Order: sequence, then C-alpha cells, then structure tokens
Amino acid sequence: MFGLFNKKQKQHQEALPEWHSELGESQQRWFTFLEKLEAKMEEFAAAAIPELKQLLQEDDDLYKRTFHRVYSGVNGQIQNIRNKARDTYEEKIIDVYHYYSSQISVLSPYHNLVSDFRNVCSDRYNDFEDKSEYWRNEIEKTQERDLEIEYQKILSEFEAVKNKFNCTQCGGGLTIDRIFLIETYISCPYCKTQNTFSPSTQARNLQNIARNLAEQRTAHLKKDFEVENSKERELYHQIHELELSKIHQSDKKILSEIQSKIADLEEQRQSAIQNAPKLHQHYLRAMYDEWNKITPDLKEHNEKMYQNQLRYL
Amino acid sequence: MEEKKVNSFLDKLKEKAKSQSHYGGDSEITEAKMQLKDCPNCGAGRAKQDGLTHCAYCGFEFLSVKLTDGVYIKKEDNSL
Repeated sequence: MFGLFNKKQKQHQEALPEWHSELGESQQRWFTFLEKLEAKMEEFAAAAIPELKQLLQEDDDLYKRTFHRVYSGVNGQIQNIRNKARDTYEEKIIDVYHYYSSQISVLSPYHNLVSDFRNVCSDRYNDFEDKSEYWRNEIEKTQERDLEIEYQKILSEFEAVKNKFNCTQCGGGLTIDRIFLIETYISCPYCKTQNTFSPSTQARNLQNIARNLAEQRTAHLKKDFEVENSKERELYHQIHELELSKIHQSDKKILSEIQSKIADLEEQRQSAIQNAPKLHQHYLRAMYDEWNKITPDLKEHNEKMYQNQLRYL
Repeated sequence: MEEKKVNSFLDKLKEKAKSQSHYGGDSEITEAKMQLKDCPNCGAGRAKQDGLTHCAYCGFEFLSVKLTDGVYIKKEDNSL
C-alpha cells in the first residue's frame, strides 16, 4: 500500500555513492601497504634472529653489552615499521573515516559503508599488530641463555677457591663458607686477623643472574598461572557469544539449552577468577624460594619484596 | 636486492655496536683474592674482636663511618 515498503528496496537499487569507490581504493591501498610492511618486517626479523643468537654466544663482555646494542637496534627498526603503520592508519583511515562520517548523515542508508570501511581496515591493522607482536616476542627470545650453565661455572669456581686461601698474617688456612657477593672480612681462626676477601667477577655476577635463574626454574608454574589467568576473558567472550545468540531465538528448548551452557561456563569462569591469584601466589612463592636458595644472603631483602608483591596480586 | 639491503643494514648495525666503547668502560674480569690491611700507623694486625673501624692499639681510624647492620657487616663490628 502506497509503496511504503518498497522504499528500502528502491534505495538499494540506486547506484552506490561516488565516495564508495574512493573508500574502496583507500582500503586496497592500506591492505597492500600493510602487506609490504609485513613482508619487510618478516624478512628483517628472520635475518636478525640468527645473527642475534650468534652475537650472544660470541660477546665476551660480562654484561653482553655489544649484544644488547644490536638487540636495541633491531627492536628499534621493528618499532619504526610499527610507527609507520600506526601513523598511516591514523592519517589514511581514521581521519578519512571521521571526515566521511561527519559528511554523511547517520540516517543515510550508506552510513554503514563508512563504518564498514573503518572496521575492515582496523581488523587488518590488528592482524598486522599481532604479527609484529609475534616477531617482537621472537626477537626477545634471543636474549635467553641457559643460566644453569653459568650457575654451574660459579659453583665449580667456588669449590676450587673455598679452601685455597691462607691468612695473610699467620699463614693459617682460611675457609670461605659460602659464595660471597661483595668484598667481605674473613677472620683467621688462628690469629683472629681480619682478611679481606674479594670475590671473583664471576661470583659477584651471581646476584645478577639469580632472579632470572629462579624464574627459569619455575617457568612451568608461571605458565600454569598465565593459562588460568587468561581463561576468565576467554570464557567471558564465549558467554557473550551465547548471550547474543539468544536474541533471535524463540524456541524455548534451545533457549534453555543455551542458558544451561551459559551457567556452566559462568561457573568455570568464577572458578578461574578464584584460582588465578592462588596460582600466582604459588608461582611467586616457589620462585622466591628458588631465588633464596641461590643467594641465601639476600633472603631478608627478597622476602620484603615478596611481601610487597603479594599486596598487588 | 631486498635481502642484500637487510643484510647490509644488519652488518652496519653490528659493526657500529662492536666499535662503540662500552658505557662505564670495559668490564674487568678479576679472580678471587685475599688481602690484608695492617694498621699503617703502628703496623698492628686487625682482629675481629677489636672491631673494624679503629686500630685496637693506636686508635688509627680505618673507617670514618659508624657501621650499621648489613648483609655481611653487623653493627657489633664497630670498634668500641
């Protein structure tokens, strides 16, 4: 009647507005641009990773400073690529989106084309960010070195020196009873003279690697915590999807099935919320215990740090 | 061509990193050692029970600070 219901159909038959093709071109250009950046990033990272690994092996500086300089350079290059993508995204996508969305009325049937343009481009940009995050992680992994080997070296050096020294005053044998991290006085059991013991560079370095070594040993517990911690968001999204699927569902049987699924997922979600901090604390305790075992002299200090960390779980 | 560019960039980066001097100087690798400091004033040795800050015989001042509890040194190590 009155052709009222044909109106919508008619509008769709009309030719798409001129700017639509412009948006299409922008989108295409954006996709191609990101593809090129991704290829560049992948090529660069793939070439840099073996180089970095080799450099870490070869770097004879105590703090691996040459390696870290190259590492920073590589990261900076990746960051440059990311910045380029971000700047272009803001200029060519977001600005264009704002321009058109201010020009085109929200009542226009074509308004959603503008949002679609932005959504598709943003999704593509997120993919790009995921890929760069992946490469950043891969590059970060090149820093990892087996600290057990270094720890063993320190232990065997300690075994070699612990009975090696004599009192400089009376010549009586001195025993070094633990790995000292800084200069310390050792008193001679015979003449009571204070001898100053200077630990080797390698032994002093123990305090620098101790925490990382403890983390390396308890990495599996950290992983457990992270898995549990990420469950809450995953389950939330699953529940959200199910909630959405209810909107157009009128079949009561299906609705009740969905509802019971939601209840089940919610229960799992609540238990994840409860469990994650417990696992976190379990990990921290184990890590600090391990750390205290490696450097017992720093236990008091470490425990303060642990107590402090507990407050922010 | 592209690969060449990446490699030359990496090589340049590496070369530059190697030729740069370390901030704070080169790290020195030293072995563990034992030393002794006699009193420079009277030549007496330092015994633990006499404290670390002053010579027990002539009162020469080894350390001008008052010791507090630390990891290895305790406040009992002050000379009386």
